[in-house]
Amino acid sequence: MTSEPTVRLESVRRVYHAGGPDEVRALDGVSLTIAPGEYLSVEGPSGSGKTTLLNLLGLLDVPTEGRMLWRGTPVERLGERDRTRLRRTGIGFIFQRFYLLPTLTALENVALPLLAGGLPARERETRARMLLAQVGLADRERSFPHQLSGGEEQRVAIARALANGPQLLLADEPTGELDSTRAGQVLDLLEAAHRDTGAAVVVVTHNPTVASRADRHLVMRDGRVVSDTAGR
Amino acid sequence: MHWRNLRHRTAQTILAIAAIAVAVALPVVLLSVGGGVYSHELASVQDAGFSISVDSAADHGIADAHSLARQIDAISGVAAASPILSVAVVLFTANGTGIPVLAEGVIPTAFSATQSSAERALLPPSFTLGDPDDTIHFANGTYGGPASGQVLLSTPLLQTLNLSSGASATLSPTTNRSAGVGVTVVGSFGLPPGLLGPSALFVALMPLSQLQSLVGLGRSTTGALLDDADSVQVAVVPALAGNPAAVARITAEVQALVPYYSVTSLTQQTSEIRAAQAVITGFYVGLSSVGLVVSLLFLVIILMRRVEQERSAIGIQRAIGVPAWRVSRGLLLEAEALTLCGGLSGVAGGILVISLLARWGSPTVSEIAGLATYDPVTLAGLVLGLLLMGLVASLLPVRRALNLPLPEVLR
Ligand SMILES: Nc1ncnc2c1ncn2[C@@H]1O[C@H](COP(=O)(O)OP(=O)(O)OP(=O)(O)O)[C@@H](O)[C@H]1O
Ligand SMILES: [Mg+2]
Repeated sequence: MTSEPTVRLESVRRVYHAGGPDEVRALDGVSLTIAPGEYLSVEGPSGSGKTTLLNLLGLLDVPTEGRMLWRGTPVERLGERDRTRLRRTGIGFIFQRFYLLPTLTALENVALPLLAGGLPARERETRARMLLAQVGLADRERSFPHQLSGGEEQRVAIARALANGPQLLLADEPTGELDSTRAGQVLDLLEAAHRDTGAAVVVVTHNPTVASRADRHLVMRDGRVVSDTAGR
Repeated sequence: MHWRNLRHRTAQTILAIAAIAVAVALPVVLLSVGGGVYSHELASVQDAGFSISVDSAADHGIADAHSLARQIDAISGVAAASPILSVAVVLFTANGTGIPVLAEGVIPTAFSATQSSAERALLPPSFTLGDPDDTIHFANGTYGGPASGQVLLSTPLLQTLNLSSGASATLSPTTNRSAGVGVTVVGSFGLPPGLLGPSALFVALMPLSQLQSLVGLGRSTTGALLDDADSVQVAVVPALAGNPAAVARITAEVQALVPYYSVTSLTQQTSEIRAAQAVITGFYVGLSSVGLVVSLLFLVIILMRRVEQERSAIGIQRAIGVPAWRVSRGLLLEAEALTLCGGLSGVAGGILVISLLARWGSPTVSEIAGLATYDPVTLAGLVLGLLLMGLVASLLPVRRALNLPLPEVLR
């Protein structure tokens, strides 16, 4: 089953306040298949449902309607505990606002997803060190997030997202708060991770330069995918 | 991680610890002082030297005291039965004016045998008053034998009157010296501190029959035998003193002799003191639990606030798959760290307050505080209870933390 899609959505809806006067159809019938190793960009105007889609892909949220399969398993069959485990072992998150834990050092932030994996402390530390070195921050392992620049924080976040060797990397506006030089570094890292790990990558962005790095481009509007094109 | 969190929120942490410490210090003080007072009372009852007491409701209401004492003496397991008569009389020195004293009429050997070891140490070593069993003057109820006329005076009285052993004095039932009889002071005895109030420092000890005839309680004006006393204290043989069943059996036999007097055993008194202690301890615990519940609520509020403050940190951890138990453990450990610190400082604070009271309080307060006993089981139970309370306090915040809506938290 090596050719099994990483994620498959079939007519998925995500409706907020369903049935109420303030009902919002954040996703309104999305069908989508993401194969292992694909690199997707998702563009679209504000409020078109990009973040909502990413939350579903990342098992942070569940569809209101429709079917969603995570590597062949229907997500409605997964309990909160299974989804937590899959988020830890199968999915890497990179957020626009970096989201590191302020009370942990760079090294501890990277090691966080490894904590529950049963690895001995020494191996966790070695692996976290290696990941930090990969993103070029070997010398900052003892720094706390507030001592790092935005670009550095985002690189720590990428290292953390890669900690458990995920099959799916999700990034929501990963360069939204960075200048173009730093954004370039972060995109290079993302690309390297895609190349080296073979993980599927989904990047949500407003920035055409960011989108241009992907192999497949989705455009969303009003909760629907209105265009799905391949090529750089 | 929680340790760093605690350090990052110093003010909240200190407030929470202080609130718990205050709530804990209260039961520590109440239970330690209360327990100390009761165990002191218990100890003095258990060390009384006698186990059973025969009393009558009326003043000097025990009649035929000498023969009753002999009858009780004959019950198996009884070591000594000591009738006691207490009457206020007036003591005149050879050339001075009268001074009121409390005269205690006793049978010397029986009296000595029913004292606690501490009290016995205050009496002269061979304590006879010239008539060890008070039989010579009593003379089988005739009060016709020769009186020894010997008295022992309490040390404060002896010092106040500036008398020494061998001095003569007169004891009178009234302020009229000529109504009295002459006595010889043969020694003194100390008074256990705090036993009788300052008003009863002046005491004279003399053979029972001599006091009875002095105050007219030996024979009535018509010549009928009275032989009155206030109470008879009964000591059981040492082997049975600690055996409630044996004491109860002897008590019942004494009661059968004198159905019209009240016969109480100290085991009864002991269990009454224990029952009273249980009630008052329950009251203290109830009172303290108000403070503990308030600090529990305070702890819940602080932890809830912390969940709010750490919304995004908790959200990130949940998002990247840190298991629920690990997220909860952080909060739980935080609650336990707060309650443990608060509990230990409360125990230390309570002990400090008690020792400050014992040192600097008014005489009464300081005496009571000085009796405090620290029961390690109670204190450990208190701290364990607190840890349990910390667990309970973290339930709601943990629930809140695990139910945070991730998409909204990470928005
Ligand atoms: N918790 C919520 N309750 C109600 N409506 C919501 C909620 N979350 C999102 N929405 C709505 O769903 C729609 C899609 O939101 P979403 O965040 O997916 O948009 P987006 O494409 O990521 O926008 P942006 O580019 O601004 O980040 C919006 O109209 C938004 O207001
Ligand atoms: Mg968005």
